[in-house]
Amino acid sequence: MDELDLLKKDWKKQESSYPKLSYNEIYKIIHKKSSSIVKWILIICIAEFLFWGFINLLIPDRFFDIYEKLHLKTFLNITYIFHYIIVVVFIYLFYKNYSAICVIDNTSLLMKKIIKTRKTVNYYVYYNIIMTVILSVVVNIIMFSDSALLNEAMNPKLEVVDEDKFFYIMLIAQIIGLVIMVGLLWLYYKLIYGILLKKLTKNFKELKKIEV
Amino acid sequence: MTKELEHKFISEFQEHQNIIHKVCRIYTNNQEAHNDLFQEITIQLWKAYPKFRGDSKLSTWMYRIGLNTAITLYRKSKRSIQTQDFDTVLHKIEATKYDDTEEEQLKLMYKAIHQLNDIDKALIFLYLEDKNYKEISDTIGISEVNARVKMNRIKTRLKTILNP
Repeated sequence: MDELDLLKKDWKKQESSYPKLSYNEIYKIIHKKSSSIVKWILIICIAEFLFWGFINLLIPDRFFDIYEKLHLKTFLNITYIFHYIIVVVFIYLFYKNYSAICVIDNTSLLMKKIIKTRKTVNYYVYYNIIMTVILSVVVNIIMFSDSALLNEAMNPKLEVVDEDKFFYIMLIAQIIGLVIMVGLLWLYYKLIYGILLKKLTKNFKELKKIEV
Repeated sequence: MTKELEHKFISEFQEHQNIIHKVCRIYTNNQEAHNDLFQEITIQLWKAYPKFRGDSKLSTWMYRIGLNTAITLYRKSKRSIQTQDFDTVLHKIEATKYDDTEEEQLKLMYKAIHQLNDIDKALIFLYLEDKNYKEISDTIGISEVNARVKMNRIKTRLKTILNP
């Protein structure tokens, strides 16, 4: 007999050997919490929205005085309005993609929808990083183009400092800050999404291979 | 209403629960992991149940949600630690029904299945459940032709494992 027929025969035979869960046992199970990746993605994404949304609140007011001195207050306010419009758009897109995830879709479609939802948040994070970089570049250009103003803004007590030295310290500090930020983000994505989506990515690739 | 729905779900689920046990049989190889996956699939089924209109069979739903959970949604919980190999346990019970060669072959076969990737497991599971290629391609979301090609490859692979 063919090995596969043997397997099929055995498979049917095993039918009677599986446990039969009672009404109460099933009742208990359906009142437990799910730990599916979709749920985890939702939790992490909300945390990301909140983090990037409220990060501004963590910056002390003192910091904004510098912008005022640099006459950037209006510029900053306009960017804020723009920023919050974008945030609302992202939240809407995320919600739309998230609610489209449906466990009765076929496997391939389900995976695509999960990946799409995940990507929305990725784009949101990219947007935030790019915005941060652009803003700091703009602010830096304005700051460094007027050394007197810069000195006044960063050195309110008007202590005597070497201008060149001051320039380099500012530059190096900003580069270090940027490297740390990017490093932390990279680590975060490697860890959180690496672990969370490893299986999904692997299986999705496997499906794609079949369709090629 | 919820109580009523709950009651309806549990009764119907109880009747078809073997489908889920069988999915777990393919995707896990110890009792603890089996129970854990079984729980997650049951929860997913219950969450999706209010949308179940009855225009398709509940069993069809169970195949889909069962496989989708095993392949995509399920994350191993920390509780599941390696316990005794399921293949060995189940076949000790079944051993008397077969002669030694057959038993040995089956053991190897299940072991080989457990080594397949998640997608191939789904295909072999649906094959064992006597699903036709149309149903297989609908469930997984690949074309019928590709399902057929892939299935033949898996079968050949399993055969070579047994007859090297």
